[in-house]
Amino acid sequence: MSPFLRKLRWLINRSAKEAELREELQFHLEEEVEQRTESGQSNRQAGLAARRDFGNVMRVGGETRQQWGWPRAEQFARDAIYGIRQLRRNPGFTAVAIATLALGIGGITAIFSAVDTILIRPLPYTDPDRLVMVWDWEGEKEKASDSRFMPTPAEWVEWRRLNTVFTDLACSQPGDLTISGDGEPEQLPSRKVTWNFWSVLGAPPILGRAFTQEEDENSARVVVISHGLWQRRFGGDPSIIGRKISLNDEPYVVVGVMPSGFYFLPSREIDLWVPASFPPWMRKSLSWHDAQIVARLKPGITLQHAWQSMHALSMQVTAKNFRGPRSIQMFPLRDEITGRTRTALILLISAAAALLLIACVNLANLLLSRSSARNREVAVRAALGAGRGRLVAQFLTECLVLAALGTVAGLILALPAMSFLERLVPQTMGATRLTLDWRVLGFCSAAAIVAAIAFGLAPALRGACLDPQEGLRDGGRGAAGVRSHWFQHSLVVVETALAVVLLTCGGQLLQTFQHLRNTDVGFKSEKLLTFELPMFRYKDFHRRVAYINSLTDSIRTIPGVVNAGAINHIPFTNIATATFYWLEGQPANEIKDQVALMRNVSRDYFTTVGATLLDGKLFTPSDQSSSVPLAIVNESLAARHFRNRSPIGQRFKYGNHGEKGYWYTIVGVVKPIRDAGVLEDMKPTIYRLNEHCDQIGTLDTGIIVRTAVTPSSIVPAVRQAIASLDASQPISRIRTIEEIVDRQLSTPTQSTALLSAFAVLALLLASIGLYGVLSYAVTQRTNEIGVRMALGATSGDILFSFGRQGLLLTLTGLAIGLGLAAIAARWLTVLLYDFQPDFIPTVALVSLILLAVALLACFVPARRASCVDPVVALRSE
Amino acid sequence: MAKSSDLIQGTLDLLILKTVSLGPVHGWAIAKRIQQMSNEVLLVQQGSLYPALHRLEHQGWIQSETRETESGRVAKFYSLTRDGKKQLEKELGQWERLSGAIGLVVKHS
Repeated sequence: MSPFLRKLRWLINRSAKEAELREELQFHLEEEVEQRTESGQSNRQAGLAARRDFGNVMRVGGETRQQWGWPRAEQFARDAIYGIRQLRRNPGFTAVAIATLALGIGGITAIFSAVDTILIRPLPYTDPDRLVMVWDWEGEKEKASDSRFMPTPAEWVEWRRLNTVFTDLACSQPGDLTISGDGEPEQLPSRKVTWNFWSVLGAPPILGRAFTQEEDENSARVVVISHGLWQRRFGGDPSIIGRKISLNDEPYVVVGVMPSGFYFLPSREIDLWVPASFPPWMRKSLSWHDAQIVARLKPGITLQHAWQSMHALSMQVTAKNFRGPRSIQMFPLRDEITGRTRTALILLISAAAALLLIACVNLANLLLSRSSARNREVAVRAALGAGRGRLVAQFLTECLVLAALGTVAGLILALPAMSFLERLVPQTMGATRLTLDWRVLGFCSAAAIVAAIAFGLAPALRGACLDPQEGLRDGGRGAAGVRSHWFQHSLVVVETALAVVLLTCGGQLLQTFQHLRNTDVGFKSEKLLTFELPMFRYKDFHRRVAYINSLTDSIRTIPGVVNAGAINHIPFTNIATATFYWLEGQPANEIKDQVALMRNVSRDYFTTVGATLLDGKLFTPSDQSSSVPLAIVNESLAARHFRNRSPIGQRFKYGNHGEKGYWYTIVGVVKPIRDAGVLEDMKPTIYRLNEHCDQIGTLDTGIIVRTAVTPSSIVPAVRQAIASLDASQPISRIRTIEEIVDRQLSTPTQSTALLSAFAVLALLLASIGLYGVLSYAVTQRTNEIGVRMALGATSGDILFSFGRQGLLLTLTGLAIGLGLAAIAARWLTVLLYDFQPDFIPTVALVSLILLAVALLACFVPARRASCVDPVVALRSE
Repeated sequence: MAKSSDLIQGTLDLLILKTVSLGPVHGWAIAKRIQQMSNEVLLVQQGSLYPALHRLEHQGWIQSETRETESGRVAKFYSLTRDGKKQLEKELGQWERLSGAIGLVVKHS
């Protein structure tokens, strides 16, 4: 039997073992007595001598017993049980302590689960920190993210050929495809990618293979599918490799399946990757900006070095371009994927840490107050021989028990918070679930232990340093010197200051959020239903336009529909397809980097969304048959070129068609619609009538329907209308504009809501702390109050003296907190949304709220102090 | 869990093991026997004896059973286990080496 098992057995048979030991020692004594009587001593003498020889029976028993089990563990268990008993004796204190801890630990655990999933976990690529995204860039502008635009496949070709800083670059383009054949036809989010996409990312398929350079260059019909699609549509059948599936009515051979955790920009939803197979003209055109380029840095090359090298290369590649040379910008892939969420998460975890800190400070304060009340108990223990280390261990064990209970309660709080936080996951990472896995639990336990030490150490050390004589002599009245008052008061100040910082940040964020919510998106966003129609079956331009027109006409006849229009990209959803254009008479040196979003719309688009016309006119039915191609531009474009004059009647053409292209005449200017996204800047945009887009444009179409009823209620009727025109027409992404807006604002919504919640909780905890310290002081000083009142102080004097003390603490905390908040608040909103809300109103409001709450927290104990009856107080001596 | 490097404790362990190796014996008798055999030089304190006995039992070197003494009383008797025999030999060897070495040093000086 191993020593461990023997110990365990002994531990279980404890009572038998005890009896055995008692008998053994008893036997020893008796044997000694017997021997002594035999040698002639009297019974009494023998008994006394035997005992004297033996020494302290209890101590021998105790030391022997220590050999049985795990003395340290047992001591811990004893302390823990004692701690639980202490907690049960003070249910009020226990409830407050556990609730406080639960808030602190639950908050930070929930946020950590999001931080872990979004920021810490490795991206599903080999060595992801070496991956960067490369963008074209309008170098003169200051704000990098707004000045960037998508590079061209031609640049990819040249960069790949000439660069010295990347091991390789891969390029991908949009290109959704519709799958049909087995099952319902459905449009699948898809990307056209170059053959080296997988080798650059270092993410091979789990089944089959990626496609080859030959297949890419020969426009082979091959496809790599996502794990999700494989499971959903093909039941995870491994024989899918080599099978033909129908995409946009053409047969493609499935060559590979990606692993389930794989995703890449622009979103997790991508289901298909097909060869990019750039046509020859695209390999040369420096104006076709629809590519995303990801590159892997060579070992030892820094981002800065790579940028310098690529900047020079880009200037060289575009040197002879008629638009003039342009630069590039590059960002680490992780930054691109996490986007704004990263800042939001860092902010939230800081706030959660501050809340936990407040909770700890609060508990330390409560424990300090309580430990003074326990002085007598501690003094008795010390007098009976408990060492200082032993006392500290016992205090800390009690704190650990408290922390453990708080953690369990905190985890219960964390679960709903986590499902709330799931909406914070950036769109680029897709629908990710946050789970309580071992990493999160580990973090949570670590946080709890750190918290227990943080809030337990000060009370434990103070309790242990107590002089037992003092404690006993004091008659249990609790003695705390000036020094400890000072310490507890600073804790209250710290708490208040932290709460003020959180409140101010919360206020600033709320203002920012209000600002974002009130962003003028350029049209009336309520009651708009949108969906997308893949148009690969309508390759013929005129058939397509006619189909779209008859479709919108038939939707318009549905009861409850006010109007319907078509646009190639639903607002807020697409920053791609920015195209170079050229105004009539514009000199060549002025047109560098001159791109605008290209939108093709039906006649009724603007009236359907409720756009605001600023100049000229909207499209009319007669425009549809106009022999002159027409366009409407947004104010951003008008402001770029026509600062002091009307753009109406001006003409432009698209660059890459050179002299052959149409001249489009501008007939109207609309207020900018945030086509690129709610949080994106407004970009110059050109809208053309579908009828005039035969030269350049995209196939797919979005339909947007204004309803008088709830938008979702007309979906069946819309489906029916579409089916009656073309039964084989797939429909995808049915959603309302408000849903799109909500999704895009989910990060600010969630982070504002969470931070505000943290701020309110912080205020609550801080006021509990203030209240606790003051009411403790009142209890402790009842005697003094009695004396003062007996000497003639009025209850008003007493009220004032205690109230002043509380307010002084509050004001100190407020001043420090506002100082810190001034720094923090500026940092956070600018970083988050490039918006600077007013600081002064927030400060005023926060100060008012804090003072009101603090007054209440001070008044209750101060009032109690003023109601002390001097006779009772003095008699209690 | 070899604790024999500690001279004092190791010595007590050695004395107990040696005593127990002569046949099953109870705690009081162990103390007495050590006292007698050492000509009253080594007095084993009960405060060390019983913890040591329990520790040795826990380590599996000695085992205990209750049986009757010569005078008809029931007591806890300790005897050596097979592991204990090995341990005794080991400790005896160590002891001889150590006392021999000390003897050499003492003689020379």
